[in-house]
Amino acid sequence: MEEKIGVYVCECGPNIADNVHIDRVLDAVSGLEGVVVAKRHKLLCSEDGKKFLKQNIEEHGLTHLVIAACSPKLHELTFMNVCEEAGLNPYLFQLANIREQCAWIVEDKEEATEKAIRYTRAAVSRIRYHTPLEKKEIESNPDVLVIGGGIAGIEASLLLASKDRKVYLVEKTSSIGGMAKEFKQLFPKMEPTSNILEQKVQDVLKNENIEAFTDTKVEEVLGFFGNFVVKVKKKTETEENEFKVGAVVVTTGLNLFDPTKLSRYGYGTLSDVYTALEFERMNTKGKILLKNGNPPKSVGIIHCVGREEKGYCSRVCCLYSIKFARYLKAEIPVVNISQFYSDLCVPGKSYQRFYEETKEEGVDFIRAQDIEVTESNGQMSVNYKIESRKPKTEHRNVDMVILAPAIESSGDSSEIAETLNIHQGDEGFFTEEHEKLGPVSTSLEGVFIAGCAQGPKSIPDSIVQAEAVAGRILSSLIPGRKLEPEVKISEISDAFCIGCKTCISVCPYSAIVFDEIKRISVVNEVLCRGCGNCSAACPSGAASHKHFTFRQVYQEVMEALR
Amino acid sequence: MKGEFTPKIVGFLCNWCSYAGADLAGTSKLKMPPSVSSIRVMCSGRVDPVLVATAFLRGADGVLVAGCHPGDCHYEKGNYYARRRFAILKKVMETLGLESERLRLSWVSASEGPRFQEVITEFTEKIKKLGPNPVKEKTSL
Repeated sequence: MEEKIGVYVCECGPNIADNVHIDRVLDAVSGLEGVVVAKRHKLLCSEDGKKFLKQNIEEHGLTHLVIAACSPKLHELTFMNVCEEAGLNPYLFQLANIREQCAWIVEDKEEATEKAIRYTRAAVSRIRYHTPLEKKEIESNPDVLVIGGGIAGIEASLLLASKDRKVYLVEKTSSIGGMAKEFKQLFPKMEPTSNILEQKVQDVLKNENIEAFTDTKVEEVLGFFGNFVVKVKKKTETEENEFKVGAVVVTTGLNLFDPTKLSRYGYGTLSDVYTALEFERMNTKGKILLKNGNPPKSVGIIHCVGREEKGYCSRVCCLYSIKFARYLKAEIPVVNISQFYSDLCVPGKSYQRFYEETKEEGVDFIRAQDIEVTESNGQMSVNYKIESRKPKTEHRNVDMVILAPAIESSGDSSEIAETLNIHQGDEGFFTEEHEKLGPVSTSLEGVFIAGCAQGPKSIPDSIVQAEAVAGRILSSLIPGRKLEPEVKISEISDAFCIGCKTCISVCPYSAIVFDEIKRISVVNEVLCRGCGNCSAACPSGAASHKHFTFRQVYQEVMEALR
Repeated sequence: MKGEFTPKIVGFLCNWCSYAGADLAGTSKLKMPPSVSSIRVMCSGRVDPVLVATAFLRGADGVLVAGCHPGDCHYEKGNYYARRRFAILKKVMETLGLESERLRLSWVSASEGPRFQEVITEFTEKIKKLGPNPVKEKTSL
């Protein structure tokens, strides 16, 4: 079929018309091969302009449409819709940006006109090589993968499941409950953890919409919002489990800073120095006792272990250290407790009182620096400096030391970040899409974060984030809603592919697979996002980026050099 | 040749950052020389080195590739691939006797209108100093 190209130049009111001789642009393209009509219009994006375009497409039987107007970022979609209404494939349309990148930036009208001619000619030259592309629709999957069975993962799972979403909850350890199940009681009300957690764990296990996998690792996640394909593997099995979900929630929790890295606290060398978690476990299992079997008479609790090294405050250590004083007083009323802190951090409506009441029970809070734990003749002591106008060194004899180590990102964060293609900050926690405006979403649409995976936080804060994630998913991943995958994707020619797999190595979305029988690379059309990296890397010219093919871009280059 | 040498520069701009940065320069009415013809690509990683070489062989006085800042690529890491490809391409240009400064890779974000103006102005000045692409003279023989 003979091509019939229509070229329309928009005046954009005075915006283009004032600085570009539009008639000269029309003259310059009128004679070009295939151009059957070239006209100007006052404002093509107006209702009148769109009607004018539609009539022109129909009247002239246009096979291709070139518009010289504003940036494609502004009105490409507007005009593509006009094409569709007029029965023209929207990819047989090209928009030349003669406003933002021409009329508005070039001082001299003559020069701006020349540039506008170059851009418009480039569009005409390129469009001859356009091919119609078809939109595809695929079903979106409303189900959700939750990675990590701690309090945040549990909360998100239960909320999502309550709206009949199928939830796959994958936990790497042997049981659901996370770090919180180690805690006997919770600050500030000192209610037993089991009151909150056990019921929730039971709810998860009983819920028909939740499939919980323990001792299981996520091996692979491919795809995009609404259409992820997930592979998980149980430690004890060789077979992988594969399922489809529409969104992923990462609630992988935390690790504690390893205090053996700081020898001054005596952890690992002195016998009765414990981490906070070890102390919790001791208390949860039974009695608080020293290694020699006696209850401690005096206990030193050291805050901020590793804070300086990590470079951030872990938010909850002051509060659980105060809680530890409550544990100790409840079990051993005569015990002496000294809290060594550098900055006491007890924000919020109920924590100040929690601190004051604990202090009134006879717990010493000492603002100390350069803390060191030593032992001589079987007596352990905490040595420290008091900052004042005349700094002084002091010490306290203790028979038990509890360290409050910084909260770190979970040990497998890097692996998860790589599997999911999401980012980690310098401290290792997953990076949110926006610190303030997108605190539970990530740079990858459809992947969310909650709890300590996002940064150190308390149980109520973790639950807030989990609920936020559930809200985000329930309001955006609607059952039955269709997804439109990217149209301008890559394709690889069977005939030209030499099977070198270069494309596979540069694809950021693992969207190219190797066909072992044909010995060629094949693009997965659902996973490809259309960056074109493979086509720039392909040494044989087999990989091509639809709508940005070598030929199409080459035509633009040639017009730029005319 | 009349008057001053006006360089012909091909500018490949990534859709997400630099093309948007160029648009912002436009909406801010920042003036710059008309020397650069911009070509929109989805990612700086899409810019085929063969296209750049072709542009030089066909007489481009300069080629600009602009993409998202490192770490900000819309496609995760396309700009890193662009950076590696262009490090090699610059070497190739030198062996061909073409000043490698004629090829410039710049990071311009969507919010950096003034930076886009600066890149265009600076690069144009640079190319003006270098003079016309020598390949053009040779191939026109």
